[in-house]
Amino acid sequence: MAYRSHILLCSGTGCVSCGAFTLKETLKTELQKRNLQDEIQVVTTGCQGFCAEGPIMIVQPDGIFYCQVKPSDVPTIVEEHFIKGRPVKKLLYTGAAKATPIPALKDIPFFAKQQLVVLRNRGLVDPDKIEDYIAVDGYSALSKALTEMKPEAIIAEIKRSGLRGRGGGGFPAGIKWETCRKAYLQRNVEPVVICNADEGDPGAYMDRSIIESDPHAVLEGMAIAAYAIGAKEGFIYIRHEYPLARQRLLNAIEQAKEYGLLGENILNTNFSFNIEIVQGAGAFVCGESTALMASLEGEVGEPRAKYIHTVEYGYKNRPSNLNNVETYANVPLIILRGSDWFASMGTGDPRENPWNGSSGTKVFSLVGKVNNTGLIEVPMGISLREIIFDIGGGIPKGKKFKAVQTGGPSGGCLPESKLDMPVDFDSLTEAGSMMGSGGMIVMDEETCMVDVARYFISFLTEESCGKCTPCREGLRTMLDILNRICEGKGKEEDIAFLEEMGEVMQDCCLCALGTSAPNPVLSTIEYFKNEYLEHIKNHKCPGGVCKELITYVIDKNKCDGCHACTKVCSSNAIKGEAKKLHSIDTTKCIKCGACIEVCTKDAIYKE
Amino acid sequence: MADNTIKIKINGFEVEAFDRQPLIEVAEKIGVKIPTLCHNPIIEPYGVCRICTVEVRHRNRVRMVTACNYPVTNGIEVFTDSERVIRNRKLIIEWLLGRCGNVKVLNDLAEQYGITEPRFGRGTDDCILCGLCVRMCQDVVKANVLGFFERGPKRYVSTSFDQTSDLCITCGACASVCPTGCIKIDKLEEGTYKEMPMGPVTPIHIDFMQAVPKKAVIDKESCINFKTGGCKVCVDVCEAEAIDHSMEAKEKEVDVGTIILSTGFKLQNGEELKEYGYGKYPNILSSLDFEVLNNANGPTGGKIFTQDGRVPKSIGIVHCVGSRDKKYHEYCSRVCCMYALKFAHLIKEKIHDCEVYNFYIDMRCFGKGYEEFYNRLLKEGVNFVRGKVAEITDAALDKSEQGKLILRAEDTLIGTVRRIPVDMVVLCLAIEAQEDAKEVSHFFSCSVGRDGFFIEKHPKLAPVSTAADGIFIAGVAQGPKDIPDTVAQAGAAASAVLSLIQQKEVEAEVVTASIDEEICSGCQICVGLCPYTAITYNKDKNISELNEALCKGCGTCVAACPSGAAQQKNFRDNQIFAEIKGILAV
Ligand SMILES: Cc1cc2nc3c(=O)[nH]c(=O)nc-3n(C[C@H](O)[C@H](O)[C@H](O)COP(=O)(O)O)c2cc1C
Ligand code: SF4
Ligand code: SF4
Ligand code: FES
Repeated sequence: MAYRSHILLCSGTGCVSCGAFTLKETLKTELQKRNLQDEIQVVTTGCQGFCAEGPIMIVQPDGIFYCQVKPSDVPTIVEEHFIKGRPVKKLLYTGAAKATPIPALKDIPFFAKQQLVVLRNRGLVDPDKIEDYIAVDGYSALSKALTEMKPEAIIAEIKRSGLRGRGGGGFPAGIKWETCRKAYLQRNVEPVVICNADEGDPGAYMDRSIIESDPHAVLEGMAIAAYAIGAKEGFIYIRHEYPLARQRLLNAIEQAKEYGLLGENILNTNFSFNIEIVQGAGAFVCGESTALMASLEGEVGEPRAKYIHTVEYGYKNRPSNLNNVETYANVPLIILRGSDWFASMGTGDPRENPWNGSSGTKVFSLVGKVNNTGLIEVPMGISLREIIFDIGGGIPKGKKFKAVQTGGPSGGCLPESKLDMPVDFDSLTEAGSMMGSGGMIVMDEETCMVDVARYFISFLTEESCGKCTPCREGLRTMLDILNRICEGKGKEEDIAFLEEMGEVMQDCCLCALGTSAPNPVLSTIEYFKNEYLEHIKNHKCPGGVCKELITYVIDKNKCDGCHACTKVCSSNAIKGEAKKLHSIDTTKCIKCGACIEVCTKDAIYKE
Repeated sequence: MADNTIKIKINGFEVEAFDRQPLIEVAEKIGVKIPTLCHNPIIEPYGVCRICTVEVRHRNRVRMVTACNYPVTNGIEVFTDSERVIRNRKLIIEWLLGRCGNVKVLNDLAEQYGITEPRFGRGTDDCILCGLCVRMCQDVVKANVLGFFERGPKRYVSTSFDQTSDLCITCGACASVCPTGCIKIDKLEEGTYKEMPMGPVTPIHIDFMQAVPKKAVIDKESCINFKTGGCKVCVDVCEAEAIDHSMEAKEKEVDVGTIILSTGFKLQNGEELKEYGYGKYPNILSSLDFEVLNNANGPTGGKIFTQDGRVPKSIGIVHCVGSRDKKYHEYCSRVCCMYALKFAHLIKEKIHDCEVYNFYIDMRCFGKGYEEFYNRLLKEGVNFVRGKVAEITDAALDKSEQGKLILRAEDTLIGTVRRIPVDMVVLCLAIEAQEDAKEVSHFFSCSVGRDGFFIEKHPKLAPVSTAADGIFIAGVAQGPKDIPDTVAQAGAAASAVLSLIQQKEVEAEVVTASIDEEICSGCQICVGLCPYTAITYNKDKNISELNEALCKGCGTCVAACPSGAAQQKNFRDNQIFAEIKGILAV
């Protein structure tokens, strides 16, 4: 294996959709042509995170980072980099400001502020090779747990580390494991460990990336949990839209079994543990713990009352420990490096009380109006500003930041004044949003906050299971009212009414989908009430989004009558002679915005 | 605290409860009413309407929980009507009205909580999605016909593919729990009416109020458990824990010294009388059918309806059907005239303007008060037509007969043949001996007459005894009679039995036969001949054996035995020969 160099080719979702696989083939043929196939190895890796710049390619050992690589660039790369030994400048990362190219990955700000724990192996290991994982200390945590630690000691260590559930609730994993083990010992009913890989939030792909880039970390975490709790059986509930992740898991399980790291008598101890993969039914609500277990049992995936906890009576009434993918992926390192190390990252000191602060890191999918979209892992407690402006590189086109929505569809929208707030479970909740599973959507000044609330409420209305009254009817009525406001037909009392409904839903809904669903509405009312009032009182949409409330206007002083707009207007709403001022017939305009896109003089604007 | 009782506070009052007992039960116990919509004690709580939301405080923690499924724990404080609870509850009512504006239970609640007009307007749906029907069908009945479809606000209740389901057993359980009454079961009345024409109202029932023993029984045909394995709601509510669906009929052997045969009668099958159309026309009932229809505990609650649910405007009652008729039974069934009069009276009482026609050969109103009753009916406006009905048909001759049953009879009082159209006919069918009466009589060594009824030892001197010692008869098994006569006869039979029992021993016949095991060849000639079934064949030994207690010493077997094994005690062949010899020697 005397390769002189490795090409790490990202095959995460983003890069694959930009053609990473074609790139790989082209690379291979090109290397062969130059007879370099024995010197240079092409490795496909999981998501590197910097999806905005895909396809991405990192050349080791120098850590040179190429972005937006096209198959046509391949001959140049091979010629320049591998034969002549100098990086290809035009493929290096420059940043939004088009400044000097930065050759090394570690120097790119997008990566510099990140701290990789869960994603430590991304781009390093081939997810389909257990040997790669083992080479980076994989499964040594399991070995340590099985041979040197008692279950109680593992649970104590996880509790001390302050690891809180990454699936949304932020419940301390150690306490959950302890309760589960206790239920098992008390009732002597065999417990199960379940991994929640349902990831139903639109636009979120943290769990998917973790599985696709490092599936063994999840398996190892589950095995350690199973040993600590006393389980012999595990399930991974994965949404069916993730065939690649599922394939990687199946493959990883197969390999781990061959190596005696899963299955019967793991590492020659008397601990046996098997994992089964179950495909989800596809509904967002199936990620909720009781609905997930119902779905696992083959029932309709609908939540039930949680007065009896699933940790005690879950899947088939057995004690059931449900954790998120990322939660499990954190476990091996905590066991290996110790709780002190983990607790040292993030906020608060959880060592006495795991509820105290948020330790470790969190993976976010950073999307929306931000320059560097992608998957990032940051220490808890980092500020929103650092995430959006340092890692994310700020708002594109010099626009102004308006809000950031965290926590998936039922998270809240936080305004500029909250940018310096630390990102951790409790601060986010306090501010009216939540950690959720780690979605982060950045919005600029051209966003309408009422429309945003309406968008999320409409998503949640579709996804509500409809079982309980407040969620089903509450979302329906909220959506009606928001639609009305967006159409300029809102009434002043609507705001108070929305707030009342939100509070009743928080009080009365059956499951967390319903109790958290009002967040987008309540947080936008709290921080952006004036936008609601603008819609209602003045029939104006400050973000220029709500079609009923805006008109397209041509600026007299800027229009030079170039006709570009008239050509694209599908409803023939723009009139004007060549080289003379044009005007828009508002009765015909369907507000599609096509004209704004083509006007080179920036003469068209929304009012 | 002892066992698992705990203490909680509801609206400030301390209450004892079981650990984890549903909050609603505890509240109910002390008379605190919490509204519910999706709750029914016989179905597992579901907790979805959320109307029962109440406030629970415990150690500085305030929670909103649903009372119908919240398990109470020690020390919690519950507030069922706090300001926050009321606010929540009111909005839930408003929300539901936004879906189902016209549903009565919701409007009642709205009134109770002072909601005049819901802020979101009123919807026109009538299903509040409480899921009671679905859970009833799936979890209780286990027929799995009903389910929820679609998600969120589009959720609705239906059957698979919205099609009529083959799985539906028309039990109607869903409709019975629906709080809004929005479930209509197609042809429910018709369905159940047809399935069990005059059968019980519910599968578990007490046959009729005078039943002896007055115990509930389950009709296997209609009981849900026997169809789907589900339901068993009765088991849950029966405090005596007396219900066991897996129970099977058992045979029991009881040793007794005396037996009363009181096997009753059977009503003649109306279909035998082709000319009367029983079984062919739906509105022709037997007297027993009518008795059930008219019963307050019957399928219609005692209301008289035709099969298609109309109130009959005219009813014909035909006496002597199959009785006093050479083709069927020569005897008079004795009770028909009187119950026919009773029917006429009750019909008149229930449907004042109904014309009732009694067709009779002659009125047999013997006995105390009977003739007086007949006279009263004459005054009540019941029509009496003297003459036998020749035929009942639906073939109408004119408009007035269309859609009716026409009774054709000769009115012997006015000497013409009449056609009387009616909506319903009741046939007073003959009382018949049980089909197996003859078999039974063999079994008990008594006998039946030509008419099939058991014959008493002597009509005047021994009216309840039979030819077999220890076997007595009572009731209609002995011959048609009414209830007072039956009771009197049963009393007589009982005292005859008691006097035997009182004696503690019986005198056996001195002169009985005996069978010599050594000589008997097992030809079994005697077995068939013995009129008292005193001889049985023992297969193992291949001989016939004699029961001395049954033997009357008639000597039939002795005379018939080809091998001379059967001998009469004290009259053995050798004794008789010796006697003859003695006489001759003198
Ligand atoms: C509507 C709804 C959807 C959820 N979806 C997910 C999901 O997709 N993935 C996930 O890990 N947790 C999801 N959760 C959170 C889970 O219910 C549960 O809290 C979590 O899996 C527990 O694991 P953790 O303690 O490791 O976070 C969802 C919760 C709700 C209410
Ligand atoms: S809150 Fe919404 S998703 Fe949850 S049970 Fe109720 S209707 Fe279903
Ligand atoms: S049909 Fe009736 S019982 Fe069934 S869910 Fe609707 S309201 Fe409830
Ligand atoms: S009665 Fe409790 S939720 Fe419906």
